[in-house]
Amino acid sequence: MELFLMSLITGILVGGIYALVALGWVLIYKCSGVLNLAMGELTLIGAYVTLTFYQAGIPFILAVICTLLVGIVLGFVTERIFLDKLIGEPILAVIMVTVGLSFFFKGIVEFIWSTDTKVFDPPIFHIKPIELGFLKLSPVYLWSFVLAIFLLIIFVCFFKYTRWGLSMQATADDETAALSLGVSARFVYAAAWAIAFMSAGVGGALLGNINGINISIGYLGLLVLPAVVLGGLNSVPGAIVGGIIIGVLQNLSGAYLDQFFPGGVKEIVPFAFMAVFLLFKPYGLWGWERIERV
Amino acid sequence: MSSVWLPCGDYHQFYKEDQGWWQSTFIKMKMILLLLIVFVGIPMFLPGYYLSVGTMVGYTAMGALGVQLLIGYTGLVTLGHAAFIAVGAYTSTLLVLQFPWPKFFTDWGLAYPISIVAAGFIAGIWSVLFGLPSAKVKGFYLILTTMAAQFITVDFILTQYVSQIGGRGQAFSLPPGTIKIGPWVIDSDVKIYYLMAVLTTLIVIAMANLLRSKPGRAWVAIRDNDIAAEALGINIIRYKLLAFFVAGFFAGVAGAFWVSNTAALSPEHFPWFWSLWLVGVILIGGVGSIHGAIFGSVFMVLVMEGLQWAVIPLSAYYPKLLMDFAYIKDSAFGLAICAFLIYEPNGLSYRWWQIKNYFNLWPFSY
Repeated sequence: MELFLMSLITGILVGGIYALVALGWVLIYKCSGVLNLAMGELTLIGAYVTLTFYQAGIPFILAVICTLLVGIVLGFVTERIFLDKLIGEPILAVIMVTVGLSFFFKGIVEFIWSTDTKVFDPPIFHIKPIELGFLKLSPVYLWSFVLAIFLLIIFVCFFKYTRWGLSMQATADDETAALSLGVSARFVYAAAWAIAFMSAGVGGALLGNINGINISIGYLGLLVLPAVVLGGLNSVPGAIVGGIIIGVLQNLSGAYLDQFFPGGVKEIVPFAFMAVFLLFKPYGLWGWERIERV
Repeated sequence: MSSVWLPCGDYHQFYKEDQGWWQSTFIKMKMILLLLIVFVGIPMFLPGYYLSVGTMVGYTAMGALGVQLLIGYTGLVTLGHAAFIAVGAYTSTLLVLQFPWPKFFTDWGLAYPISIVAAGFIAGIWSVLFGLPSAKVKGFYLILTTMAAQFITVDFILTQYVSQIGGRGQAFSLPPGTIKIGPWVIDSDVKIYYLMAVLTTLIVIAMANLLRSKPGRAWVAIRDNDIAAEALGINIIRYKLLAFFVAGFFAGVAGAFWVSNTAALSPEHFPWFWSLWLVGVILIGGVGSIHGAIFGSVFMVLVMEGLQWAVIPLSAYYPKLLMDFAYIKDSAFGLAICAFLIYEPNGLSYRWWQIKNYFNLWPFSY
């Protein structure tokens, strides 16, 4: 029972971090209808940029804010150079451009920062776990969870109540119709990429505090995919719920299945679960169902 | 009749003529010349290094043809094709190394050829298994299930379980002389090259024939509009799964071929990167044509080799460049995909088509 509760709570907290990265994913999809496969690399860039600022002697909070600014600039530049020209092209082309971008970014990151694991030094969060009864919680996870919930509220409000958020949703739904109603698709895409870079940056900064920064953070960006799909590709609350479900599932399977299937069962269970889940609910929990006509 | 193509205003009267292999003497001669170059010219006149580059081209093309079938002809985007290549490679290796063959088979060198066919079938069935969600899900969601295939197969099953068979730990070593076809031991660049050329040719012929018969037409109909295809009476689930099977079969053959080209087989030969690489190859070559897969493979392999040549002289001044060459390669590949999609979305095969049309009307174009 104790093991179960422990895995459950850890799962929920880890799920908070997944949710944070998943948010970036859902945002780009919601704004531009594109599945951004470069998300893992954006997270990686965020982590390294924060680390660079931090090592230059800037306090952590300021370093994160600087990373956000860098993220905005990078987002706009990326959109202008690569994705601007693809407005109106088939969606597969745009997805594959993001794959190309992911290779490009990964190569550059590895070239600049090399592949060794780097850590935030001095550490930002206390290593000593907070004890609540028999539960031991690491402060990093707690903070990430709080931050994820906070960002969730901001993003939900953004999409529901602001003009930009509404125009973004309109563009995702039907680009041509949105253009004819006077929505600037170029601006919407640029903003979407800037937001994605920003949320990935925060996610990367937090993830870098857990196990140090190396190339595997990019892989973690991929691990988040099942969470996104589970919640439905265009649902912000779905990203959070999906992230938490995947986190819990991962920790429970790590605790209970590992003895039967030794090895990396923890990393694989989300993908297997997602593949089976899609057979029953093809659009995730709250994804929009597309009604198709000939 | 024009020797190159039909002259303006002349049309085929029957579907059979339209889909024929040898539509004119010129095309027949062209194909024979191409086969002569591939089977005689290159192995006779080029040294071993170029042959190994050619082998790489063929290996890439075999995988890319399966991806082309799925993405280009059936419209099912797959980002996990390396998994099926890996399944083929491991099936073949296990059959050759671990299966208790009767003496007759080993004496006549039948183990490896049989294992190639078996690898194709097993990879095909494995591929169908992961294609099952395609009955219900589409688009992005399907992309994700094919990615699941990659991670479940390569990172989990192969790495954690299959690699442990025989107690060797990480990699299966293939001692020289194990890979044997009939009386020939596949041990030199030339022999590997010939094996590659034969297999690639067979796969291209098989795919071209499938595409000009009923399954091919059904696939194209599904790609263009699956709901309309269903209304026309095409069993879309059956044909989608057939596409997965055939693509998996090609991948399995490619994997079984890879066994002959390597000294030790490990899961690191089939990373997710390789799945994406294959998709990149067909995007650069052109989606929806067999030429595209071949052109893309030739282009990508040659450009990467060229890049290596370009970096070596520079490395005297910047040693970091050569050390981190893998990263430069990644970046270059990413940029190439982006550039092609932005500036030449139809790929190299469209260029080829334009050149052909130009000479078709030459010297009096419109």
